[in-house]
Amino acid sequence: MHNSSQLRKEFIKKWIHGLQICCSSKKHMNLMERKKKIKLSADIALASAKNATTSWSKALIADVKIDEENMILINNLSGPESKFVGAHDQRVTCHKRIRSKKILKKSCGVGKRIKRMGSRRSDLATCIAERLVKKRTKVLKRLVPGGESMDEVTIIKEALDYILSLRVQVDVMKNVVNATGVLD
Amino acid sequence: MAGEDEIEGGNRDEEQVHFHSANLSSDWPFNGPNDLTNTSMSMITSSNPMNNTSCSSAPMIDSFCHTAPTVWDHHPTNSQNLGAFCDMNLQNNAATSSSSLGFRKGNLVPARNLDMCWAPANSAIKRGGMFLPPAASNILPHSLSQFPADSGFIERAARLSSFSAGNFEDMINPFGSVPESSLSPYSSRAMQGQPQDGFVGNGFKSASAQGSKDMPLVVDCGGANDGSQSKNERQSESFVRSVHEAKQGGSGFSGNNVASEAEFSEGGGGQDDNSNEGLDSKKRRRGDQDTDYNQVKRSPQTPSEATKNNTEVQQKGDNNPNSVANKSSGKHGKQVSQSSDIQKEEYIHVRARRGQATNSHSLAERVRREKISERMKFLQDLVPGCSKVTGKAVMLDEIINYVQSLQRQVEFLSMKLATVNPRMDFNIEGLLAKDMLESRGGSSGTLGFGPDMAMPYTPNSSQMAIMQGGLSGLGSSSDAVRRTINSHLMAVGGYKDPTSQTGT
Repeated sequence: MHNSSQLRKEFIKKWIHGLQICCSSKKHMNLMERKKKIKLSADIALASAKNATTSWSKALIADVKIDEENMILINNLSGPESKFVGAHDQRVTCHKRIRSKKILKKSCGVGKRIKRMGSRRSDLATCIAERLVKKRTKVLKRLVPGGESMDEVTIIKEALDYILSLRVQVDVMKNVVNATGVLD
Repeated sequence: MAGEDEIEGGNRDEEQVHFHSANLSSDWPFNGPNDLTNTSMSMITSSNPMNNTSCSSAPMIDSFCHTAPTVWDHHPTNSQNLGAFCDMNLQNNAATSSSSLGFRKGNLVPARNLDMCWAPANSAIKRGGMFLPPAASNILPHSLSQFPADSGFIERAARLSSFSAGNFEDMINPFGSVPESSLSPYSSRAMQGQPQDGFVGNGFKSASAQGSKDMPLVVDCGGANDGSQSKNERQSESFVRSVHEAKQGGSGFSGNNVASEAEFSEGGGGQDDNSNEGLDSKKRRRGDQDTDYNQVKRSPQTPSEATKNNTEVQQKGDNNPNSVANKSSGKHGKQVSQSSDIQKEEYIHVRARRGQATNSHSLAERVRREKISERMKFLQDLVPGCSKVTGKAVMLDEIINYVQSLQRQVEFLSMKLATVNPRMDFNIEGLLAKDMLESRGGSSGTLGFGPDMAMPYTPNSSQMAIMQGGLSGLGSSSDAVRRTINSHLMAVGGYKDPTSQTGT
């Protein structure tokens, strides 16, 4: 797909930048640190390669921004910095709003559900299915960065996009590992 | 879709109509009745030589089969199922890409699935996407079981069947000996009409083993009618392509075990992802075409019929697994009234589902669910091994597993990269650059790789090799990479600057 190849190029470019910064910033003390740096740079590169077009990328950058250490990396990697600025705060407030809405809904919905349950016995299977779907949606929301503050419809769309990007990331990393692996 | 109805005769027509519409609907995969699968499997296999995706369409077909019997209680002919299967097959193939429905707009995996319908098959072959938009927007959360024959369908079927009588025999003949190249004659014959659809169903039965036959039949079906000549041609083109695809796919339906939906999905899923994706895109576009085609086709027909067909399609498309349990054939009456209401509506409108309140709240809920199912279908294509969609919950489960596995892979790979010799860190950029070059489609990158093997040992030469091999082949696009690598190399120090030597 042309989309993925373009994303791939962007990702590679940004990752190169990120790795350079990581290498030049400080000496990696141990394996874990190096691994974290590599993964971090890869994630940031991936998210910034999306150019703030998707909310999961914004959420990812916002999450990373919490840690001040990463600011340098972020500043260098993400060109349209402004897009990510304040994303975290926005997300937090948005999240809170959504959570309170959900609490309200739950409190109101329980009564309705009980009433409905009594009237439609045949919906038992549906209810079970719905519950399953809800459970899984919750898990998915946790997996996708920034997923908690999304509704069901957008979470799936974001998950799709996230999957695509993750695939690109894994692909690139695999190639690099293979290249180095061959040398090793 | 209407054409098919005519072919099969009154009873079948209804089914076919449903099936056609079902093709449009992207919710096939979510319909889960497995009964249909068994019955339809046989038919599907025969009718679905078309492509690999047929496997994926199997679930759709199955669902069709499943619902078909329930729907057409009073039309218990097998032929009905056949017609349905044809559509289902077509749809199933498209179904895999049904998820693409939602994403068609996003240029995501094309909706293969939708195209499976014969009518859409033509379009599907061409571009599955066509189907989608109308189907996508109109996807009604009706489950297949909701297609139970209502009075409206029966009327329509009767009307359609009147057309089919004459062409039926003609349609059957081609089955035996239709080569791919004979697509064009079929399309012309399709003009005769509508019964072609019915033929597809029948033909599939008889031509179970001959996938290629199905293709031509499909073309006929697609080609039927009026006004859509251009469409037919396009469809036939796409049809040919799909034929090729089917052949590439290998076994196609004939090879697959009809009875097992799983086999279908496996066959479909087992195929190359790329090819699947490509097929998906085709199907999706075909789906769009089909929708248009169906609409065009319907114009000569009674508008009510068309709308009903569309309604059916929409209803079929909207297979919300949750709603399957809810929907029962007992809601015919409501559907009939609803379909009549819809006659004036466009496909984009959301119709009140059968047995559901039509207040704005539920409608909004339904739209939401439809969107979700569209996207689920798209996700189906993305996530490997999800061609046999059984339900939202299962799909979500697969998606979750896939995301988790991808994330774990990233962790693992980054760990592996971290273990690489620290000296290699500097080379990573080079590798990345090389990878980038490779991704641009250059063997030039690979050429540069040879010397790269010795990178850790002779970094300088390897750097040079990367530069020369990877970058030389590329145009200005590689300049950025080169510069990056060069700058990085310089920063690293301790390395000669090969770029200066190579003349960035």
